[in-house]
Amino acid sequence: MFEWLSDNRALVASIIIILCLLSFLVTVLIGLRANFIRPDKEVFGDPERTKGGWYWAICGISALLLIWFYFSWGVGRAYFPDAANEMCQVAKIEEAISPITASLPVNSRYYKSTSLVKRNIEQLDELAREIRLFDYAPDQQSQLLAVIKDIENILASLSNPAFLKAETQKEIDFISNELIFLAEKFDQEYLSFVISSDALLQDPWGTSDVEIPMLPQTKRGIMYDQMSLDVKSLSKRFLKLRHFPEISKVLIEETKEKLTDLKNGLDETSLDEVNQIKLAGFIKYTDRIFKRVDDGNIFPPGVLEEVTASSNYFLGQLDESKGTLALIDIFFLPGQGVVKSKTQCTEQGSARWLPKPTDVVAKFVVLANPNIEAGGGYKGFPLLWWEWVSIGNLVGFFVPDIFVDLLVENYSEHLESGTFEPNFYDKMLFFAQGELNLGYIPFPNGHIWDSLVRVIVAMFFGIILGVPLGIYMGISKFFKSFFDPLIELYRPVPPLAWAPLILTIFGIQDDGKIFLLFMVAFAIMVISARTGASGTQLSKIRASHSLGATNGQILRYVILPNALPEILTGVRISIGVCWGTLVAAEMLAGTTGVGFIENVARTVSDYELIWVTILIMGLLGLFFDIVMRILIARLIPWRGKG
Amino acid sequence: MKNNFKNLIGSSLLACASAFGTIANAADSVNVAFFLEWATPNQIAKVDKAYDEAMGVDVNWTDFSTGTGMTEAMLAGDIDIAYSQGLSPFVTAIQQGAPLKMVAVAVVYEANDCFVRDGLGIDSSNASELEGKTVAVPLNTMADYAFRMYMNELNVDTSTMTIVDQAPADGAVSLADGSVDMACIFGGASAKAAGEVGSPIMSTQQKTDAGIGSFDVISVTEKFATENPELLRAFLEVTEEANSNWTASDSQIAKVAADAGMDVSTTKNQMAGFIFPTAQEQMDGFFGPEGIAASAAAALGLVFSSDSDGSAIAKTIDGSFLN
Repeated sequence: MFEWLSDNRALVASIIIILCLLSFLVTVLIGLRANFIRPDKEVFGDPERTKGGWYWAICGISALLLIWFYFSWGVGRAYFPDAANEMCQVAKIEEAISPITASLPVNSRYYKSTSLVKRNIEQLDELAREIRLFDYAPDQQSQLLAVIKDIENILASLSNPAFLKAETQKEIDFISNELIFLAEKFDQEYLSFVISSDALLQDPWGTSDVEIPMLPQTKRGIMYDQMSLDVKSLSKRFLKLRHFPEISKVLIEETKEKLTDLKNGLDETSLDEVNQIKLAGFIKYTDRIFKRVDDGNIFPPGVLEEVTASSNYFLGQLDESKGTLALIDIFFLPGQGVVKSKTQCTEQGSARWLPKPTDVVAKFVVLANPNIEAGGGYKGFPLLWWEWVSIGNLVGFFVPDIFVDLLVENYSEHLESGTFEPNFYDKMLFFAQGELNLGYIPFPNGHIWDSLVRVIVAMFFGIILGVPLGIYMGISKFFKSFFDPLIELYRPVPPLAWAPLILTIFGIQDDGKIFLLFMVAFAIMVISARTGASGTQLSKIRASHSLGATNGQILRYVILPNALPEILTGVRISIGVCWGTLVAAEMLAGTTGVGFIENVARTVSDYELIWVTILIMGLLGLFFDIVMRILIARLIPWRGKG
Repeated sequence: MKNNFKNLIGSSLLACASAFGTIANAADSVNVAFFLEWATPNQIAKVDKAYDEAMGVDVNWTDFSTGTGMTEAMLAGDIDIAYSQGLSPFVTAIQQGAPLKMVAVAVVYEANDCFVRDGLGIDSSNASELEGKTVAVPLNTMADYAFRMYMNELNVDTSTMTIVDQAPADGAVSLADGSVDMACIFGGASAKAAGEVGSPIMSTQQKTDAGIGSFDVISVTEKFATENPELLRAFLEVTEEANSNWTASDSQIAKVAADAGMDVSTTKNQMAGFIFPTAQEQMDGFFGPEGIAASAAAALGLVFSSDSDGSAIAKTIDGSFLN
């Protein structure tokens, strides 16, 4: 079932998108209608006005899902499942032609030859100026200037169209004509192509490690794919193209000899060390410029014009042949579009860091699978499941070994027969260490459970210790003055700042993480309980006092009910902050937990996994908040009415 | 008619996008990423502008603090060449489908150490006693890779261990506190702290014998490699020249130290552990048919993701620009 759904994500997504769109439109209509028919008797600002409105909630969720689907390319994949594969083939052509266009003014301003000549001449001028200032070795100076003159002559000979060899011209013509010939082939019927079985066997878009399948899966894709091969071989020919007129060849040989002479003569100069290094530097620089000139990739002006024209024609035909594909690319694959690398085609743009909703759900299902052997769970631990736990282990957890150590006189030693007979004390130790078999009970485990336990235990201690302290700080001079500086001093410190200390004090076990979360919860609980207690109306306390209430009764029946709304709001806030701190707490020494998963996923930029953990934490937070809202409504119906 | 209209909108939007996107990309300058505090001989060529001279373009050097940052910048088109990107960010990038390519090896150095706490009496001869113990490992890093390699070499079953994900600094602290029995560490300061209370599970010699090592790579964007192969060749040539001219003389070290932003003695210590293979050595040892580059990248890929396909990573390794 899951397999089928996972393999047909596009179909599932297309149904969900239509449902979202429908529910969005319907709820907007319902909402508008509800506003229209409601007699506007309520006063502005009346909290009663916010009651109801489920349709706006559905409308909001639908809008969020639609935006998510759109920017993650989910809409594109759902309705145009072949688009990315075809764009991948187009990317192949663009990659194949890029060696040609890189030397032409396509997507740039100058011919590569022009920029090379311009740059080399500038650098030669600069070099000549510096050499003229260097007059310690007149011989070498004049020789160097002569070489520079030679290089300028080589550039001139290379740039002269009159020297262009007929065969080079022929090759250029061939490449240019071939490009036009290929461009015409975009119009050709491609229905006769056969899609290879390998291409059909590829995993669909986004279902495996390879994001977008590379082999063409449509007939049009095959056309692009084959075109890219033709263009590639043409690019290879273009890269081999060299312009070496005879006259330049002679000049190059001469210059090479002069440079070698200069290099060899370097040791025989009578210069001091500094100037010798300087001279060597000049020779080296000249040599480097010379080596760039003798590559033969400078062409005379105007020669490559026809290639430029045919490249532009080719690219124009390519754009035209895309037709609706170009529109799909622009409107449904927002961002940079499909980018091809050596191993796969990938989504670049918002879809790179925003996985599609269906992919996130599929990843979640894989993680939630409790069968570790079948690839479920994360790092060999399930997300949320249960296991048989020995009761002995639980007892051992609560009974410290040291109790036995204090009672014991001596533990027994192994016997001569090579066996071990435990005495009474050994058995007590077994009991304390949880090695005694007392039967088994099912117990939850998994990453989510571990995180949950940490948050709940921290909250428990935060409430148990924080609320009484807060209430007493609200009513007692001693408690207020004694604890106020302490609490206020540590409260503003961000939890992460404690992290390095926690690690050395508590080690790597759960207690450190729980303590970190406890500190967060405790401060919030103290503050909220204190505000609640000190905000009690004096008239109520006086009234109960005059009716004969004892101190305890005032605390129990007047102050506590008054503080309860604030306390429960504090619980709501601190649960939220605890989840927020959990990622940091589990970074200290990660073994399990939702925050641990996110920390590890971050190191390999696994965005799907990161979004799964974000959603898990968000949903858990939402769950707790809903529970708290129900509790608040049940426990303190007088909230906001006193 | 309708179709023509669509095409018109499409092509004009496309034209706008490409006009903004690529016009600045004509190779008038090449952008190179590097690490500060990572001393290499080619910094002399960098300071002397030998790269600019040989390539004939302005070479802009931008320093990064992480290899992942280099990948991000290359994806955004701001960086063409990353010098000395770590193997792990490179493999991660490839697994995410980034259009990058490994064209050379920049630095070869000793693999990160795993320190066993003194007093446990465990070394490489009785390493199987590590089974059932607690180990601090920064997951999905080169230290993680080294850890798996050591345990594999010493026949220790890692599934019996409690593996705790800790940053190197935290791992060193936990090792000192005794809450973990072994800590795998990268980074000078943390390794020094861990060395105070523990000793490496494998010696330098043992690591070399077992063929466990780390190396940094020179990676480039696919686009740069196809459009400007001659610039890439010139870049590698200058690097090669700088490596062969390296004599570790005081003046050279002072120059490198100044550029790397470190003092002379730290630079000296750091570079003592570095090997800079020549182009020939790289082609023979790393990029050959059974080269280390592909096998190490594939092994590392498996550490990151257990269903990784090593042959896919091998496709992005290309030593052809070295000659």
